[in-house]
Amino acid sequence: MDAKIAANLAAGFAMAIGSIGPGLGIGMGVSKAMEAIGRNPEAADRLFTPMIVGLGLAEAVAIYALVTALALIFVGGG
Amino acid sequence: MVGKLFGLELPEISMGAEVIFHIGPLPITNTILTTWLTMALLITVAILIRKRLSLLPDTFQSIVEIIVETLYNLVTGVAGEKLGRKIFPLIATLFIFILTANWMGLLPGFASIYREMEHHGEIIKVPLLRPANSDLNTTLAMALITVILVQVAGIAYRGIKGYLKEFITPTMLAPLMAPIHLISELSHILSLSARLFGNIFGGDVVLMVIFYMLPVLAPAVFMILESLFGFIQAVIFSVLSLIYFTMAAAEEAEH
Repeated sequence: MDAKIAANLAAGFAMAIGSIGPGLGIGMGVSKAMEAIGRNPEAADRLFTPMIVGLGLAEAVAIYALVTALALIFVGGG
Repeated sequence: MVGKLFGLELPEISMGAEVIFHIGPLPITNTILTTWLTMALLITVAILIRKRLSLLPDTFQSIVEIIVETLYNLVTGVAGEKLGRKIFPLIATLFIFILTANWMGLLPGFASIYREMEHHGEIIKVPLLRPANSDLNTTLAMALITVILVQVAGIAYRGIKGYLKEFITPTMLAPLMAPIHLISELSHILSLSARLFGNIFGGDVVLMVIFYMLPVLAPAVFMILESLFGFIQAVIFSVLSLIYFTMAAAEEAEH
């Protein structure tokens, strides 16, 4: 297989597999936050910032996969 | 990479920042130019506000006061009054700089004004402006400043002995724990810098692809999303640095 094709294929897999975990994590985080807001609507404002920070942390894992994938596409395979 | 999409030629996207001119032997990249523009904007605003500072604030001063006050309350709320006052300048600067740089990158002109450069004997088109945080060097610099200052704060607040003791707790497992603590400190550099870089560079690439796939209406949606992400990333970078500082300085009080 051509190195360029292999790199592109690897980039696709990196993104596809790498976004499973963060997707689950973000879904769990938001579902819990929504549950909490449903139980106690007044807490919505105070929940928002910690939720966003938590989501950012979970999303960061997908971003590492994205950086890897972009590096493979633009730099990898010569 | 020059790709083709529906017969349209995609412009060259490169992972690293491109050199646009030299000052003496010093190569100046397009992200440095954007960083300088951001700095110039922020310094101008700061000087303007400093000049007309008055007890009865006008609209402009009120807006700046609200921003600074919100940030101050956030920092002192998490870190406490004593530590908060010390690290507030750094955290607020990080937040304001990252936010300005991210939102500046969405203005027209970025990635659309090109300069022709000679590269290995070939003429290539290089964007004159590129979002400052879409260069790993910019984000790495900010992450290094934060992490090194966190170590300094740890030593200043707990003393050199208390700081070093942190690395060998629990004492029973000292040989095992020391490398783990060290790696976890160093990983902050990677996570802080790669997160910001990946978000902004990834967003830039997505915008570029969307512009060439569906030039009508669709980019507007992604522009809104990108401005939201730019804000969230600024919040995350500054809040995480704030938490690192608080953890480094305040653990002694618990023991």
